[in-house]
Amino acid sequence: MNNSTLLDLRGVSKTFGTTTALSPMDLEIERGSFVSIVGPSGCGKSTLFNVLSGLLRPDDGTITLEGNNVIGATGHVGYMLQKDLLVPWRTVLGNITLGARLKGKVTPENRELATGFAEKYGLGEFLNHYPSALSGGMRQRVALMRTLATNHQLLLLDEPFGALDAQTRFEMQQWLLQVWRDTERTVLFITHDVDEAVFLSDRVLVMSPRPGRVVDDLRVDLPRPRTLDTLVSPAFTELKARVLHQLHRERAV
Amino acid sequence: MTKKKLLVNIFGPILSVVVLISIWQSIVVWGHIASYIAPKPLDAVRSVTSNWSTLAPLTWWTIKETVYGYLAGALLGAFLGVILSKIPLMQRVLYPLLILTQAIPIIALAPPLVMILGFGVMPKVVIVAWIVFFPVTVSVLDGLNHVDKDLLTLAKVFGANPLRRFVVLEMPAAVTQLFSGLKIGATYAVTGAIIGELAASSGSSLALYQRSASGALDAAGVYGTTLIMTAIGIVWFLLVVGVEFLATPWQRRSTARRWRRGAKPVLPNN
Amino acid sequence: MVLNQYYQTIRGNRMKRNFLSISVAGAVMALSSLTVLSAGSVASASTLTSVKFVYDFPGPDMELIPVVVAAREGFFKKNGLKVSVEFPPSTSSTTQLLTTGSGDIGFITTSDMAVAVEAKAPILSVANYSMTNNWGLFAKPGSMLTLASLKGKKIFSWGDTWTNAMIPFVLKKAHLKASDVTIVTGANDTPLLMNGTIDFTTSTTNYAIPGITEATKSAPVGIVGSAAGVPNVPVWVYAVTHNYANQHGKNVKKFLAAIKAATIWASAHRAKAVADFIAAYPKSGYSKFYSTKGWNLTVPLLTNKAGKYFVQTNAQWTTLATALKGINLIKSVPAPSTYYTNKFIP
Ligand SMILES: Nc1ncnc2c1ncn2[C@@H]1O[C@H](COP(=O)(O)OP(=O)(O)O)[C@@H](O)[C@H]1O
Ligand SMILES: [Mg+2]
Repeated sequence: MNNSTLLDLRGVSKTFGTTTALSPMDLEIERGSFVSIVGPSGCGKSTLFNVLSGLLRPDDGTITLEGNNVIGATGHVGYMLQKDLLVPWRTVLGNITLGARLKGKVTPENRELATGFAEKYGLGEFLNHYPSALSGGMRQRVALMRTLATNHQLLLLDEPFGALDAQTRFEMQQWLLQVWRDTERTVLFITHDVDEAVFLSDRVLVMSPRPGRVVDDLRVDLPRPRTLDTLVSPAFTELKARVLHQLHRERAV
Repeated sequence: MTKKKLLVNIFGPILSVVVLISIWQSIVVWGHIASYIAPKPLDAVRSVTSNWSTLAPLTWWTIKETVYGYLAGALLGAFLGVILSKIPLMQRVLYPLLILTQAIPIIALAPPLVMILGFGVMPKVVIVAWIVFFPVTVSVLDGLNHVDKDLLTLAKVFGANPLRRFVVLEMPAAVTQLFSGLKIGATYAVTGAIIGELAASSGSSLALYQRSASGALDAAGVYGTTLIMTAIGIVWFLLVVGVEFLATPWQRRSTARRWRRGAKPVLPNN
Repeated sequence: MVLNQYYQTIRGNRMKRNFLSISVAGAVMALSSLTVLSAGSVASASTLTSVKFVYDFPGPDMELIPVVVAAREGFFKKNGLKVSVEFPPSTSSTTQLLTTGSGDIGFITTSDMAVAVEAKAPILSVANYSMTNNWGLFAKPGSMLTLASLKGKKIFSWGDTWTNAMIPFVLKKAHLKASDVTIVTGANDTPLLMNGTIDFTTSTTNYAIPGITEATKSAPVGIVGSAAGVPNVPVWVYAVTHNYANQHGKNVKKFLAAIKAATIWASAHRAKAVADFIAAYPKSGYSKFYSTKGWNLTVPLLTNKAGKYFVQTNAQWTTLATALKGINLIKSVPAPSTYYTNKFIP
């Protein structure tokens, strides 16, 4: 483990009854990196996030975040679940500051930070809106802002764009990259979509079907900032092919 | 709300009431219905206004019984809903008991209540509360049991303690349900008060006034008191709807009112 | 303890004027009445004239025995009638049911009759049911109950027209103002009386005595009739609309003939009469003890000094109307013939 390692998993495993959701897994994540996890449905991706966030206790292994053992603890990562989970009775601002409210009082600093995020990332006009007035993409932005506003270095994003149409999705991907670059966070990103994984990431982890384990770990050295051109470059296609190949090889076994 | 919608919302109900009264009037007039069977609408109103000095204190009592009983029932109902939802054992122990309370005819409740509490306001308050608490409990329980599980998971991820989770997420999430229970309760409240008055009154009461009017074949008096009872019920229901309107702005507005906590004035962006 | 007493009372003796049990009981009774009462009839229905009889109370009790016996022992059939019994949704609404044609012959109090005439409802009393005023104040066995002891007491009322009409006479005789006593109204007096929540109740002998006796195992104390200051007039009558009297006088005649025969039979065979009532209305809520005692107390009320059934007098109606005018329940005293006719009496 070197200095730039943010997160370090050693032999982390999890079974549900007779189902092995995660077979012993080792994983190191570098501070500031964007890492995607792809894998077939039910291979244990969400289980991995639940273990990392402290919602589930692993059967075995150690998890070290910024040098601290975090097994069994909560409140140390920003976790955005598949659904946006905005609460309808709080405004956009109220939703972004929900994390602070859940820990105690919303301070003027919390509000200022939230307002700053919102204004910077295209939500400034909607601060006073209720979620019901927002489009799907907007809602996801608010949900991500809420995750950011908790000020945790590590963000776990579980298929955040899964429900969006292709057009919105691409806008959101670029938007996410901008946020990530500006805020210098570390992102673990689950997706079904191989294009999305390669487009966004520094690293793509491919997981096998049950029992879940990492079968491939690809570096993505495509230049940043990434644009539409990235999507049609030969290097992109090559990486994508490799990920797809891995996925299908695993599926054929 | 647009102006047109506003007009429809205000004049719709007025129109339907006017139509109803016209139908009532025509049936009485053209059907040659004797005044001791059913009065003309105006006669019913006149019976109220000309006897108002007698009716006013009775109406005031009925309002008091309704309001006190309703508030007590709503508080008790919400409290029980929370207890039931938070303590699973209670759900098994208490729930059958609560259903039992509703299976007991109110009539059977009255005499012991009168023995314990006398003939004043209290037994009526208890009867109203008895009727009102149940739909509130059921709706709160339902609301709390159906809070999105993922939302609770999220609270855990944020590291919230159970009390904060309850106050910040579960309570507001159950508010819509709570109001549906409160509205059902509001429609029953006056009925409860009237049943209570029939079951036990000292001196006079709106219910007794109506009984006497009925016995005297004073149909205008009977319908007139019905109008008063109905008016109390409608006004109370509308008050509850009004509170809901103010308490749940997100259900009909796209933005919060400016003065709401956490809101910030929207600046024109350029 | 309190509850126990209460439930005992509910089971044993639901008072006649327990007006809250009304609607449900009434509806059930109304539904069952047709079939129950015509049980045992073999003649084809088409040869019999249908008559709808409306009782004065939402549920049946022992005062209905003459009608039940007339139906079950064949007296109606013998007179060519097929009588169904209806129960009004509330007390004091029987006259309304008659005027709307929902009923043909009604059973009402004489005060209902006076109010109906005052309201210009075309109702005519065709026969007395009882002959004397057996209404009064009652208290637990062993209590002190005199007119002099009323001041400051809680007196139970059923809130119906008859009771409303009678109470002022009692107060007048006791030289009391309305504010000197507390009149309370409720669903059932006996438990409240047992419990001491009320001091006295108001009722008639044939209902109060069985009820209180059943609950306490001994007879109540009471002041009744002229002792209580109330006018000595019949309490209940049979009534029809003017229309029905004009067009179906024959039916009224046949009805009263059947009732007379049935009443004589039921007075001679009291146990059998009560058994008929219980068989017709097994769910009336009244015990056999209550109905038997009640009927025994009712029988002597049904005939006048000359031993005659039904016969009304000018004097009874004038007395009633004058008395009711005196307490402002009615505004004028009409000619007694406005109230009644004896021409259908057999
Ligand atoms: N709480 C749980 N209890 C039992 N089985 C579970 C639970 N959570 C997940 N699983 C099982 O573990 C496996 C992995 O699930 P998950 O991590 O959600 O997969 P995915 O990769 O689709 O996110 C699946 O077979 C799932 O059914
Ligand atoms: Mg998943």
